Amino acid sequence: METQEFIGRSYLDAPTLNAWIEAEWLVPLSSGNTFLFSEADLARARLILDLKGDLGVNDEGIAIVLHLLDQLYGLRCLVRDIHAMEMSDRAKDVG
Amino acid sequence: LAADPYTTLGVKKDATQDDIQKAYRRQAKRLHPDLNPGNKTAEEKFKEVTAAYDLLGDADKRARFDRGEIDASGTERPRQQQYYRDFADQDGRSSYTNTAGFADFGDYAGAEDILSEIFGRTGRAGRRGRGQDIRYHLELSFLDAINGGKQSIVLPDGTTLDVNIPPGTRDGQILRLRGKGHPEPADGPPGDALIEISVLPHPFFTRKGDDIYLELPISLKEAVLGAKVRVPTPGGAVRAAVPKWSSTGRILRLKGRGVPRPDGSKGDEYVTLKLMLPKKPDPKLEAFVAQWQPEADSPRQSMGV
Repeated sequence: METQEFIGRSYLDAPTLNAWIEAEWLVPLSSGNTFLFSEADLARARLILDLKGDLGVNDEGIAIVLHLLDQLYGLRCLVRDIHAMEMSDRAKDVG
Repeated sequence: LAADPYTTLGVKKDATQDDIQKAYRRQAKRLHPDLNPGNKTAEEKFKEVTAAYDLLGDADKRARFDRGEIDASGTERPRQQQYYRDFADQDGRSSYTNTAGFADFGDYAGAEDILSEIFGRTGRAGRRGRGQDIRYHLELSFLDAINGGKQSIVLPDGTTLDVNIPPGTRDGQILRLRGKGHPEPADGPPGDALIEISVLPHPFFTRKGDDIYLELPISLKEAVLGAKVRVPTPGGAVRAAVPKWSSTGRILRLKGRGVPRPDGSKGDEYVTLKLMLPKKPDPKLEAFVAQWQPEADSPRQSMGV
C-alpha cells in the first residue's frame, strides 16, 4: 500500500510516520521518494503504537525493544530451519 | 462471562487510576503477543488483561462498572488485528530480521549440534565415537536453489553423492546428509556430509528473504496506455497488468510468486517497472512530442529546481 493508505490504516500522522522511517523503526520499500508498505509494516507500526501508548515505553526504549525483537525473530527463524533440517534428515533416515 | 477485572489486573477495588495503569503495564509487558512469539497462551491472557484495563483504566467506565451499570464483558475492545509476530515469525526472513545475534554460531550445522545438546534430542545415538563429518561445497543456479530438486556431487574417489535440494534453499545454507561422512574406525556410526550451498546470481532476479525482485522494462505505449504483459517469475512467466500511466519505479506485487517456504506458502515477487523508449529513434514519435503542448509539469518540482 502507498503512504496515504498506510496513514489511514495505521492512524499515524505524516510527521510521525516520517520520523519513524527516519529512525528506521519502519523500513518500507522505497522507490525514489515514494514508499510501499506491506501488511507486516502495518502490524509493526501497531506494535510500536502499543509499546508507546499502552506499555509506556519511551523513544529510546522503542529502539532497543525493536532491535532485540528483530534478533529474537531472527533466532526463531534459525531454530525453525534447524528443526526442519532435522525432520527432513530423520525422514530420510527412516526411508 | 468475563472474570472480575480487578482480579484479572491484580488490583484492589480501591486502587487509584495510577495503580491500575501500573498494574496493567506490568502485565502487558509480560504478555504482549509480539513480545511472546512462541507462547500461545500469552495472547489469550493479554486480551483478558487489556479488556480489564479498557474498563478500569477509564475512570468513567470504571465508576459505571462499580455501580453495576455495565458488566465486565460488555466493553471489550475488539482486537482482531494481526499481530506483528504473525509476519515476523514466518519462515522467511524479512527486511527487519536481524541475524547479528547468532553470527558467532558460524553455520547452521554447528548450531544444530548445540541445540540438540540443549534439547537432549535422542534420535541420534550418542555423538561420541562417531566418524568425522566431511564438508563439501555445492554451487547452485539461482533457480535450482529456489525450485529445489536433485543434484549430485562427484567425490574425490569418483563416486557421486546425491543431494536433495529443498525448494527455497538459501545462499550459505548448510545441508546435512546423515551418515555420508568418514566411517568410524571402531565400528561406530559414520559421520555426516555437510554441504555448504552457494547460490549463483541470476541475470534479472534478485532475492531478499523469500521475496523476489525484478526490474521489468516496459514500452512507452504500455506505460501510457496500460497493458497486460508477461512477467518472468521463478516458477515461470505469468501475466500481469501494467496500470495505465505508469512511471519508471512503480512497483507491482505478485503475491505468492516468490520463494517457496517449508510450510508450503510462498514469498512474493516485486516488479519495478522501467520505462524504455524505442531502441531506434523514431522520427514520428519525435515529431509528435515536438508539437505536443503539455501543461507545465516538471517532474523535478520536489527537488526545488
